[in-house]
Amino acid sequence: MGLGRWSEAVRERAKAALHRPSPYGPDLDVTSFEPGLSAGEPEPELVSQTGLDLERAKREAMYVQVDQALVKYFSKVPGVEVKCLERLLEEEPDVAKEYLWRLLDPATDKYTAIAALKGAGGYFVRVKRGAKVEVPVQACMFIRSSSLQAPHNLVIVEEGAEATIHIGCLTMPEAAALHAAMSEIYVERGARLKMIMVHAWNAVTHVRPRTVIKVEEGGELLSYYMNLSKVKSLQTYPLVKLAPGARAYIASIILGRGGAEIDVGTKVELEDASAEIVSRVLARDSSRVYARALLSGPSGQGHIECSGLMLSDEARIVMYPELDAKGPRARLTHEASIGKLSEEEINYLISKGFSREEAEGILVRGFMNVELSFLPERLQKYVSSVLDVMKKMATM
Amino acid sequence: MLRLENVRARVEGKEVLKGISLSLREGEVLYVLGPNGCGKTSLLRAIAGYPGYEVEGRVEFYGEDISSLPAEQRAARGVGIAHQIPPRLSNVNTGALLEQMCQKFGCNSVREVAELLNIKHLLGRPFGKGFSGGELKRVELATLLLQRPKLALIDEPDSGVDVDSVAVIAEGIRRLLSSSTRGAIIVTHSGLMARLVEPSGVCIMLDGRLVKCGGRELLEEAMGRGFRALVGGS
Repeated sequence: MGLGRWSEAVRERAKAALHRPSPYGPDLDVTSFEPGLSAGEPEPELVSQTGLDLERAKREAMYVQVDQALVKYFSKVPGVEVKCLERLLEEEPDVAKEYLWRLLDPATDKYTAIAALKGAGGYFVRVKRGAKVEVPVQACMFIRSSSLQAPHNLVIVEEGAEATIHIGCLTMPEAAALHAAMSEIYVERGARLKMIMVHAWNAVTHVRPRTVIKVEEGGELLSYYMNLSKVKSLQTYPLVKLAPGARAYIASIILGRGGAEIDVGTKVELEDASAEIVSRVLARDSSRVYARALLSGPSGQGHIECSGLMLSDEARIVMYPELDAKGPRARLTHEASIGKLSEEEINYLISKGFSREEAEGILVRGFMNVELSFLPERLQKYVSSVLDVMKKMATM
Repeated sequence: MLRLENVRARVEGKEVLKGISLSLREGEVLYVLGPNGCGKTSLLRAIAGYPGYEVEGRVEFYGEDISSLPAEQRAARGVGIAHQIPPRLSNVNTGALLEQMCQKFGCNSVREVAELLNIKHLLGRPFGKGFSGGELKRVELATLLLQRPKLALIDEPDSGVDVDSVAVIAEGIRRLLSSSTRGAIIVTHSGLMARLVEPSGVCIMLDGRLVKCGGRELLEEAMGRGFRALVGGS
């Protein structure tokens, strides 16, 4: 099938789903959002909140998109290719057809549909077979105008390669936008991918990313997701498919602020593989956070650890840790807890000379701690800096 | 340096201190002994301004009435407390917390203190999680060494720990007393620590009151005869 007919087939499937709601999160009228075409660079002070270092990325590898308009992309890192999706379609249509809309179905819901019909841009990152790359590819998705931003991202970490991607998604404070990024990520046999994603939205933006990550035999995925800002609504439930011998550690640290409605989680399908899903949810103001986690498969080992911290009387946290053993060789466990800051712990820190605000900040920052030792030192610092920003936003 | 005048304290409505008066001069190490539940911890907490204690009377520190100051301001003036059992701080990294204390109080090095108290292996772990009794005490004492208080209030440093740990803790207390700390009140119900850190005064506490004070001989007597027998069964 030629590229034209392939694209047309994708669009036809999408059209049929344009009014199909997601089973999760508040429903939206996606047709009210038109693609945005603002120009210019992202605002540096906002970008820095996501831990991205675009100055440094200029010497390494980066992709920057504002609304649906491309700003720049390149890679100076040996073994790493970065380009925009349109360029991939133009230069390597067979690769595009082989990998795009394979893990994701454009007819899944209205958000995949609108992305297939009106989306533009998105990064294509390919890490060559056997390349061991510690330098992160930095990708920035910036929304400047009240519009639709629906890029389609494709990442291929080829057999035996190692790669790191650090993604920051953010908006200008006043932009009432819909972000519906499609991401299809392939971690091939024996490859390793470390992924850091930071969301810093505003109080009027709706966010509906759709992500599927396929990890082949012996592959490894380390994923850190942080949502630190206000958002009108955020719903995402990425799927990770683990082949035999694959491993995954997936951590999410989510801060609900203002009147946000957040429904996030991770599904992992495993077969003779191992996975750990860790989520830390903090809810302040009148935010509502629904945290989901699902481990399913016929065999393998998995654990879910969900912790919630209530930071106001009006907030709400609901947790759904689910285990689905499809065979007797599946060993699946979970633990979940929700509570508030302990007065005993606050008082202890006050007796050590900290003010109440400082004590709460220490405990909130501690609550957000997840296992970072899997990451190289530079990335540990990036994640820590983002968590420090989150701590301030949680306690200010 | 410290003077308490008829200090009374209540916790959740229950009277735990019933009129304590005492003075501590620079260079003194006062041991307060007494049975469990007699108010020893409450005495230290009342001096430190621990939240949740309703305190009446006067707590004077270097001539200043600190009775109405919150705990963090007393700490800033040089009042430090090492608790008997610090709480486990969910996921707070031990090294990061000690580093924050070090920065706040301008200490030299967390690592040096960690080496002295043999807690280097705990720095990367969540505060208190899975620590043994001795490790908890040593980490708690580390917070004092980093805080470098003028007055150290040390709650049962020798309870629930092995002999080796007691020796390390004693070394830490001696280091404290040979540097910035000018006086200490050590609370205990065993006399173990007093063999390693010399007392300059001893008081016996019963039912929220200091019932008898004296020198080292009082400690030996109390250990030999028991607290209540010592004060005539009162």
